[in-house]
Amino acid sequence: MRIVVCIKQVPGGSQVRMDPVTNTLVREGAKAVTNPFDAYAIELAVRLKAELGAEVVALSMGIPATGALLLDAAARGADRCVLLTDRAFAGADTLATSYTLALGIRRLGGADLVLCGRMAVDGDTAQIGPELAEALGLPHLTEVDAVLEADASGLTVQRSIEGGAKQTVRLGLPALLCVTKEIGFPTMPSIAGVRASRSVAVETFDAEALGADPARIGLNGSPTQVVRTFVPQRGAEALPVEGTAGQQAARLWEIFREVGS
Amino acid sequence: MEHPLLQPVTAAYEEYLRDESRAVGQAEAIAFPRDEAEVRAVLRAAADAHMPVTLQGARTGLAAAAVPGGGLVLNLGKLDAVKGMAQEKDGTFTLRVQPGLALSRLRKQIADRRFDTTGWDVASLAAYDAFMAAEEQFLPTDPTETSASVGGMAACNASGARSYLYGPMRRHVRGLRVLLAGGDSLTLRRGQVRAKGRHLALVTDAGRRLDVPLPTYEMPKTKNASGYYIADDMDAVDLFVGSDGTLGVITEVELALCPLPKVIWGASCFFAEEAAALDFVIGLRGQSLAQVAAMEYFDARALDILRRQKRDNPAFAALPPIAPQYSAAVYVELHCASEDEAAEALFATGTAMEAAGGRAQDSWVARTDFDKDTLIFFRHAVPESVNMMIDTRRKAHPGITKLGTDMAVPGAYLKEAMAMYHGMLAEAGLEYAIWGHIGDNHLHVNILPQSQADYEQGKALYAQWAQRVCAWGGSVSAEHGVGKLKADTLRVMVGDAGVRQMAALKACFDPRGLLGVGTMFSPMGGI
Repeated sequence: MRIVVCIKQVPGGSQVRMDPVTNTLVREGAKAVTNPFDAYAIELAVRLKAELGAEVVALSMGIPATGALLLDAAARGADRCVLLTDRAFAGADTLATSYTLALGIRRLGGADLVLCGRMAVDGDTAQIGPELAEALGLPHLTEVDAVLEADASGLTVQRSIEGGAKQTVRLGLPALLCVTKEIGFPTMPSIAGVRASRSVAVETFDAEALGADPARIGLNGSPTQVVRTFVPQRGAEALPVEGTAGQQAARLWEIFREVGS
Repeated sequence: MEHPLLQPVTAAYEEYLRDESRAVGQAEAIAFPRDEAEVRAVLRAAADAHMPVTLQGARTGLAAAAVPGGGLVLNLGKLDAVKGMAQEKDGTFTLRVQPGLALSRLRKQIADRRFDTTGWDVASLAAYDAFMAAEEQFLPTDPTETSASVGGMAACNASGARSYLYGPMRRHVRGLRVLLAGGDSLTLRRGQVRAKGRHLALVTDAGRRLDVPLPTYEMPKTKNASGYYIADDMDAVDLFVGSDGTLGVITEVELALCPLPKVIWGASCFFAEEAAALDFVIGLRGQSLAQVAAMEYFDARALDILRRQKRDNPAFAALPPIAPQYSAAVYVELHCASEDEAAEALFATGTAMEAAGGRAQDSWVARTDFDKDTLIFFRHAVPESVNMMIDTRRKAHPGITKLGTDMAVPGAYLKEAMAMYHGMLAEAGLEYAIWGHIGDNHLHVNILPQSQADYEQGKALYAQWAQRVCAWGGSVSAEHGVGKLKADTLRVMVGDAGVRQMAALKACFDPRGLLGVGTMFSPMGGI
């Protein structure tokens, strides 16, 4: 059984730089972290591995530095790290990205289960999971909160639906799930896990190795037209207000008046 | 007493009568000076009126040094500027900081590299230019309470988890400005004034010579914050660091910064038996790895408290689940120049776990900011939970408080000390949890009394432990300071003669005994 976990590198913290020409995120040089929702997908993969004896593959499309995040997934229990990297992939929207990820999964010989986080915290689209499922021709479920039962033939999962209701679904494999934070606390890697990850090599594939259609990858393959992007100007400032309760109240009143005027 | 800088202590100022020790004092007047001249004016007015003066920073201390015992409160919170910067020949950056600046705000200014340079001299501005171009810097002293003030941290010689590698606050203080009780001042720079043996000669800024006989006691060769720092040929700066507001008012601290390590990883290492955890600590310490910045311990009872909190209190739901077989944890923090170096140190930590009978897979490694935040939450959740438990119990038994020890022992006695704590607490049938800075053999034994009788019994144990720890060559207070709550135990450590010599030393600076009355010298009750 093979479980593929899709991982996205996102900017850490609140410092975001945009490329003024392409209107896309500048990922080089920025502190990068694993998309927080993907950590829950890794957690589920590692738990299912323990239960079902699966091979877990951490997969990403990104710049070479993304390999470090894949190795972090290896320290948490992934067996293989696969990075799809090529300058031609740059500027991909969700359609081009899901096409590329699908090629990567096919290149591995397919997957019994593909796991994604519910969305990435930079683009906030939540489109990759469903689009990837379509590209692979797999059934998929979004907003999965828990896996209630798992065996080699399928999974029984609980998901959130509109109005706060929960739905229990039995799903045959192969399939794709987009998971939420309800899956459970992401386990930290152990020293033994970090040690083991040092012997894992990041397998890389470029556009040619994947046999990608140049018209369907990167900016060329992205029908999404970003008209303008900008980093919101944050005008907030923290002002310390000290002294006795009375002095603090007086200072607050002054501040409110200044802000109001 | 009438003075334009003094205000009577009305109900609005009640919070200034207590600190984090939860002891409550009383005072007639309070002053919030805004600069050194106002501090001097208040000190002169107090001297003229023969009023005792209690100094306050942020009141985060745990030994009640900032709790007034009458007289007036001199709160230094408004002196919160960074006055200048310098770069030493070896490239070290130093900051001149006023005492009221909170550590959290200082940290932010250093991390953001943003200082208010109003009034800085040309040399400071030049150093600032160099600072902007330099690698990232930090102040390593890391007390749990980041709202602590810089002056308070110097006055009590604060430390924290990272003191294992970086030492306490003392090591980072390059100089001090101190106002004495009469208003005279001392400007001290490390390396400029040293004692001759046990005699210190100082000259005040006004040219007055002070001849100070230093006590003859030997300090414990452990982490220590009990009584005055005394050593042969000691630096004058070291006398004031840790003097707990009894010798003078620190109005400026010159702090040395350190380059921030490029890679900081944390690992919580779990063990099924406490004995294995202790062997791990002793084994890892024996390797003398230069990267180990902290070693923090949590015993089985501390872990149980966290398990209960996670189960019962939604505020602690984000704690990671702790496997039931774990009964001891040691948090190890690694400060490294590169990821390869960090990996090597981490694997050495894993090997030390295995050598002690543990398993390298029974650990949580924090390399990402998210995981690091989780481990910080885990570590801070223990004392926070215990404080919540005690606050609940105080509703039924107002006389009780947490009884937390602060004693350090020489390394050779770590296991013996642990056996003593467990044995005597089990015999007494008291509820407790042990955690703290095990790298320095400095554990906080926290007795959690359920009744006044438990509380009294706990205090009796505390006194017995102080005797035993002192007999082993340990310290009765390794980081919180003596304050007003541990004068009795200080007497156990330095003896009656030591206390008399300390009093004689104090009289050289404060002949009328006005500063910090009740701190270090006379017990206020409790521990």
